[in-house]
Amino acid sequence: MIEADLRVMQRRGLVALAAREVRRVLSLWTQTIVPHVVTALLFLAVFGAALDSRRREIEGLDYLSFMLPGLLVMTTVSAAVANASTSLYQAKSEGYIEDVLTSPLRSSQIVAGYAAGSVVRAWVSTALVALAAAPFTTGIAHPLGAVAALVIAGFVFASLGVIVGIAAETYDQHAFVANLLVTPLALLAGVFYSARALSEPWETLTRLDPLYYLVDATRYGFTGHNDAPVLVSLSASAAVGIALFGLAVALVARGWRLKP
Amino acid sequence: MIDTAPRDLDRESAALVVDGLSKTYADGTQALDALELRIPAGCFFGLLGPNGAGKTTLIGAVAGLVRAAPRRVFVFGRDAVTDPRSRLLVGLAPQEVRLDRFLNARDVLVYHGRYFGMGRLEARRRADELLDVFDLAAKQNTRSNRLSGGMRRRLLIARALMHEPRLVVLDEPTAGVDTEQRHELWRYLRRLHTEGLTVLLTTHYIEEAESLCERVAFISRGRIAAEGVSAELLSRFGGERLEDAYLEVLRT
Repeated sequence: MIEADLRVMQRRGLVALAAREVRRVLSLWTQTIVPHVVTALLFLAVFGAALDSRRREIEGLDYLSFMLPGLLVMTTVSAAVANASTSLYQAKSEGYIEDVLTSPLRSSQIVAGYAAGSVVRAWVSTALVALAAAPFTTGIAHPLGAVAALVIAGFVFASLGVIVGIAAETYDQHAFVANLLVTPLALLAGVFYSARALSEPWETLTRLDPLYYLVDATRYGFTGHNDAPVLVSLSASAAVGIALFGLAVALVARGWRLKP
Repeated sequence: MIDTAPRDLDRESAALVVDGLSKTYADGTQALDALELRIPAGCFFGLLGPNGAGKTTLIGAVAGLVRAAPRRVFVFGRDAVTDPRSRLLVGLAPQEVRLDRFLNARDVLVYHGRYFGMGRLEARRRADELLDVFDLAAKQNTRSNRLSGGMRRRLLIARALMHEPRLVVLDEPTAGVDTEQRHELWRYLRRLHTEGLTVLLTTHYIEEAESLCERVAFISRGRIAAEGVSAELLSRFGGERLEDAYLEVLRT
């Protein structure tokens, strides 16, 4: 067999796995898209509309404009983690992952295929929230920065979702990371407040939250306002994403919790 | 680039070579104990053994579902652990029917074909052909979890054949299939075999092995206890039927 033929076949396999994951996201849209959009819109309604009249500005921005970028990051990361972890956990627990594991796909392609569904779910959900909020905001200051930050957020947390899906042996373990890690990290990442306005040790703790830098970079993209150097935030986040993707590939290659 | 990976010609002449494969699970269970096996290309080969003898572990190692040491399992000369091209040569119908419940019967086959490198149109054409052969065309749009047990079993076998492998591994393929369907399946497997396909069949039905298989191996406690054509096994272990030889091997 020609080596080039194998690569073509593997690429077709990757496209098929990614298509299958995206199809799952779109066909189950009431479970995969709607909850993230509704949650974000509720946050916008309660904190943006209801409380905005009492709290006019943060860092020179109206509260809704300050909060929206963080909500978009929250939407992206929660959707990205939930998708890959749930899909992989289901495939494992119901056994149909064997169809993929017996295929000639490389480990990196299996991870990329599952991550593809995650990023599509994350970006579709995020785009819908952004569209819904658009009439109430003042436009995007640096579109490229906003897109880069959300793309990196999707990539980082899709990779994390794959790891969670591989590691989870029970439904509780699968839900643990989403409920007790991602949600608190998102809420403590300066979405609703400015880190500079906090007293110690809360300011330092907020700055230790890795999601804070993605929220800050996204806020720069939307409003032009930032606390931390944007390029450093994006570079460090991308590095974390690459490390998590690499870890997921290594786990699949080893067959950890996938093969006895 | 032309494939220049080194290959062992003796191993390549066989469909499957297992060379001293051992497997101990994390809980300490030794499933395979330096197992040796050689299945000639084009052979219809039966693997018989009691529950827990190591059949499914061996099949898992061949298909990439069980972690195994490299350079112990070779499919047409290719290392089943390290060479992804070996996966293209194997079609597996596992013992347990585990199908993607989000997909209908046709898509189960089409996606499988595409995971194995088939183009979209090619995969659809092949899926339609197999749906006809396995009498599933009327159920092609039914989700896999809504098919009857027998239909799911047939779909699993169709899936194993989807990417046109040279070695098809059938782990208890007729379990839960009614008599008429079983004989229909036998006819189809015989036809595939006459077309050159190598078949590795595990079964609890000794008459199935007698009827279909050219060579048979008895596996016991993770090792091949005996292997040969039925006549050889009968003369070696006594008895009038393969079942007698099988029971004699298990007793010893």
